[in-house]
Amino acid sequence: MSDIARPARRLPRIPPVPLAILVGVVLGGLLVLVSGGNPVEAYAAIVTGALAFDNLPNTLNWAVPLVGMTLVAATPLRGGMINLGGDGQMVIGGLVAALVPLYLPGPGPLLIIVAILAAMLASGLYATIAAWGETRHGIPMLISSLLLSYPAIGICSYIVGFPLRDTTTGLAQTPMIPEAARLPVLSGPLNAGLLVMMVVAILVVLYDRFTVGGYELRMRGLNARFAGYGGVPLARQMTGVMFASGAIAGLVGALIVLGSQFRFQDGALLSPGYTWSGLMAALLAGGEPLGAILAGAFFAALQTGGFAMQRETSIPRVLTMVLQSIIILFLAIRHGVGRRRETR
Amino acid sequence: MMAGPVGAPPVAELEARGIVKRYGPLVANDRIDLVVARGEVHAVMGENGAGKSTLMSILYGLQQPDAGEILVRGRKVEYRSALDAIAEGMGMVHQAFKLFNSLTVWENVVYGMEPSRHGFIDRRAAIARVGEIAARYRLAVDPAAVVGSLSVGVRQRVEILKALYRDARILILDEPTAVLTPQERDGLFDVIRHLAADGRTILFVTHKLHEVMTITDRVTVLRDGRVVERMVTADTSPREIIRAMTGRAVNLKVEKAVSAPGAPVLVAEKLTVLSDDGRPLVDRASLTVCGGEIVGIAGVAGNGQTELIEALAGLRQPYRGSVSIAGRNVTAAGVDEHRVAGLAYIPEDRAVTGTARAASAADNLAMGFHRYPPLARRGLLDGRALATEARAMIARFGIKIGSEKLAVGTLSGGNLQKVVVARELTHRAPLLIAEQPTRGVDVGAIEFIHSELVAERDRGAAVLLVSAELSEILALADRILVMYEGRVLAEVDAATATEEALGLLMAGRVQEAA
Amino acid sequence: MLDFITPFLVNSAVQAITPILLAALAGTLCGRVGVFNMALEGQMLVGAFAAVVGSYATGSALGGIVAAMLATVAFSLILAYGVTVFRGDAVVICVGMNLLASGLTAYLLRQMFGVSGTFSDPAIVGLEKIRIAAINGWPVIGWIFSRQTALTWVAWILVAVVTVVMFRTPLGLRLRGVGEDPEAAETMGVDVTRYRIVTVLVAGAIVGLAGAQLSLGTVSIFSEDMSAGRGWIAVVAVMLGRNHPLYAALACVLFGFADAFSVRLQGQGLPNQVTDVVPYVVTLVALVLTHTKRRRRQDPTITASP
Repeated sequence: MSDIARPARRLPRIPPVPLAILVGVVLGGLLVLVSGGNPVEAYAAIVTGALAFDNLPNTLNWAVPLVGMTLVAATPLRGGMINLGGDGQMVIGGLVAALVPLYLPGPGPLLIIVAILAAMLASGLYATIAAWGETRHGIPMLISSLLLSYPAIGICSYIVGFPLRDTTTGLAQTPMIPEAARLPVLSGPLNAGLLVMMVVAILVVLYDRFTVGGYELRMRGLNARFAGYGGVPLARQMTGVMFASGAIAGLVGALIVLGSQFRFQDGALLSPGYTWSGLMAALLAGGEPLGAILAGAFFAALQTGGFAMQRETSIPRVLTMVLQSIIILFLAIRHGVGRRRETR
Repeated sequence: MMAGPVGAPPVAELEARGIVKRYGPLVANDRIDLVVARGEVHAVMGENGAGKSTLMSILYGLQQPDAGEILVRGRKVEYRSALDAIAEGMGMVHQAFKLFNSLTVWENVVYGMEPSRHGFIDRRAAIARVGEIAARYRLAVDPAAVVGSLSVGVRQRVEILKALYRDARILILDEPTAVLTPQERDGLFDVIRHLAADGRTILFVTHKLHEVMTITDRVTVLRDGRVVERMVTADTSPREIIRAMTGRAVNLKVEKAVSAPGAPVLVAEKLTVLSDDGRPLVDRASLTVCGGEIVGIAGVAGNGQTELIEALAGLRQPYRGSVSIAGRNVTAAGVDEHRVAGLAYIPEDRAVTGTARAASAADNLAMGFHRYPPLARRGLLDGRALATEARAMIARFGIKIGSEKLAVGTLSGGNLQKVVVARELTHRAPLLIAEQPTRGVDVGAIEFIHSELVAERDRGAAVLLVSAELSEILALADRILVMYEGRVLAEVDAATATEEALGLLMAGRVQEAA
Repeated sequence: MLDFITPFLVNSAVQAITPILLAALAGTLCGRVGVFNMALEGQMLVGAFAAVVGSYATGSALGGIVAAMLATVAFSLILAYGVTVFRGDAVVICVGMNLLASGLTAYLLRQMFGVSGTFSDPAIVGLEKIRIAAINGWPVIGWIFSRQTALTWVAWILVAVVTVVMFRTPLGLRLRGVGEDPEAAETMGVDVTRYRIVTVLVAGAIVGLAGAQLSLGTVSIFSEDMSAGRGWIAVVAVMLGRNHPLYAALACVLFGFADAFSVRLQGQGLPNQVTDVVPYVVTLVALVLTHTKRRRRQDPTITASP
């Protein structure tokens, strides 16, 4: 019972998230100033780019995969586990979702459902490899999930680069999927994927709040030994959570392919960087689903605004990436945000 | 010895005046004065939470007091860190050893004060010096041994060596006998006497009365952060000390009717548990616990008790043997099935295993029973039932917490243990395993927990009690098993057992105990 | 099969390993004092960018190296103070640092040089290879040593130096104690916070060298995210090597060969997407092999992660 506790320095009473955003805005503004730009212009462009009525559909459209990848990271994080393989899992899902309507016969709506389910299954199974690595061999999922991502990306890249390539175009991509198998459009860039993702998000929150499984996951995140002692089957839980996490990543890939791009293109799923932004949003909320979803939506708005800013003011949109990292670093350092692990 | 002006008493070796230390609203040390003479063995006593640990960490420089001063041999000192205290001749042997398990004895001893030559560690000089000190104070230790491979008693000697290597004049020993067999404890007392005769001063922090009566010269009693009594050991008694510690006369004996054991509930046959490298940590252990009896397992920590309990509870797979609870074979099953079969389990580490500090009391009180009615039905949690049950448990067991929604992390040791006890006892399981149920718990809560354990026995539950406190085992158990090196060495009827006989068994000496 | 081990291959493999080796060494130092450094990727990127800027500005490779070290040390302050004084979560901080490095270097690339993607300019002075003519013809030794940049030499010398310091000097003993049990170290009067901060910063300087080798070592360019996973390979090397400089170096050599092997496979006509996968697969296999020895109990929560 050591009372040699040295409390980490904490700021008094100011709500952390708004303060973090403020710090990010200030530091980002300084950066813009130093490189010859106008911060006020930059931020105005970001805000209107994200939230102006005409731009909202774009923001929402960007939010669908970003919130999806947030859930991918948040679900295991709620249980104190970390999945860094979202990129690979998403890519697998995207490829499978593209291949199903291209090579399987059937009516459009059925193909959509099969494509999505197959994508989720494939990605979910792939994600459980990392879980198996930890439960059977003690290899930390943090490392194995990340390492597994690269072969997944490589193999999908190869498949779409050679055997299943659409040779009529110059790029490494599959042919376009038939019209019937595409997600119905809602308005503008928005498609049914938005509805699917909303349902998934709600299900995750409900699971966390109202089910035995949600309770067990949350307790594991707070103290894994305690959960094990209370009869929670830790190995099975880890595998199950990773499956769910991978499946959601596969869903994200499928929704992008079936809803926006209508083909699987090498690298197209990865270049927006949804996975790492999603991870940051999840870390900000400590895995708590509702907070993570809000953080993910916020980052989506930030990034959409960033595109607009680059168009209007020629300030590079990577500024929003800088802003995001400053916010999360501030919160991690000043307010101990992260994985509240009990046993060190 | 330094003397003041003619007729004045000699200057105290160590003196603390008006020490105050606060942690937020909690006053851990409230104007504490302490005077220790040179060559004295001075006990600092008090219940858990009385402020002993805080005071010691201040005297050793690990923390700074909010007010007050420390004088060493009459001179005021200020410590910015343990380094300063060490320079003033303070040494500390912590209750939880602060040793580097992967390093050797000599590396641990010279750490921070390494002899060096041309920038490299002078290994030979270090080993020689460590060996020299060990020989001088008859602390049998091999300087080249890796600390992780040593037994607890030997590790404690390394801790003492650390202090002596720095020529500590004043040695603080924090609950040193908690992990020793009675024979090892006697060995320690020999070393203490030798050190005192050598002119060194010993501060002995403990809550064990009989040891205080044996070895110390004076006693300072703390209660609620204040000094309540200063006594000369020879002039006082255990009863008086306890009254000073608790502020009331406390019943040391447990009222217990004779047990009437019924059918066997827990049956373990030839259980064997292996370590990672194939050594048997539990070696063909067999035991039976019947309903309506308390079976106590005595043994020095590290002889397989932990692993045995893990196997019995389902936290570990046994390599061989079988476990059955209420007739159901649960050998290959996990904790959940053990609980379904009828297990309730109070683990020895309430903070690490028994609770989740950041979770609410309601969440903590539900764990282990959260899959079944009334808390859940068909996978869906009933939040309101959770809260109602939690409130009921808080009331019935007297847990001092504002609401069931608050996190349990701020609760004191005794209160936190009550959370664990409340949870495990509420569902009236046929089998209760209690591991170190009163470790680090204040006397009032100890009384409460003991009476709850006896009440469980009286309603017909089978109770398996593991404790490092022989007095607890002797007070509560009907039958006593002694574990040594993974084996159940002997079974003794509690009514006829003596501490001496048990101590010999705990050290593996079967013949002498007979 | 082993005929792919040509002198050229060995030479370029050794060179390719250098940034990873330096990063792994830095990661080992941090790990030894109990700071899990997952930000090697970002630190290397910062170093690479600063090296190009420094070389461009001063017209000398040395200027680039100095700039790289300074910039990376400054960047490492986030990790050093964040984890020790502010008790932040190392994983979150490292993820944030990696993203900050990526975004900041991309931003500055555009704002300072007006290009995006890749920056290449004759004004950037690269690292020269040190030629030792005498051993040019010798097998193995000649292949490895006859033409390498100064930083490659520095890297291997540092591995030796760090090993000796770690296991033979008082400083090394104290660092090992700090990592194993900071509380115990504190009670012996060792200022854990100070040792950790200084170690992380020194490690940062070493990663700065890695970045300099990366951008100035072969062709003198900077491209966005050019660390390209090397930092992660270094993290794995640290893990495989159990925070021991020599074993981590061994792991790096293993990757070097896996990498060279994959280049060889490319030469045989396999597409690069597949061959790029080889180092990762080798890593995974190595991880499984080294971890299988430790038979885990039923409790998978007790892992080596921080």
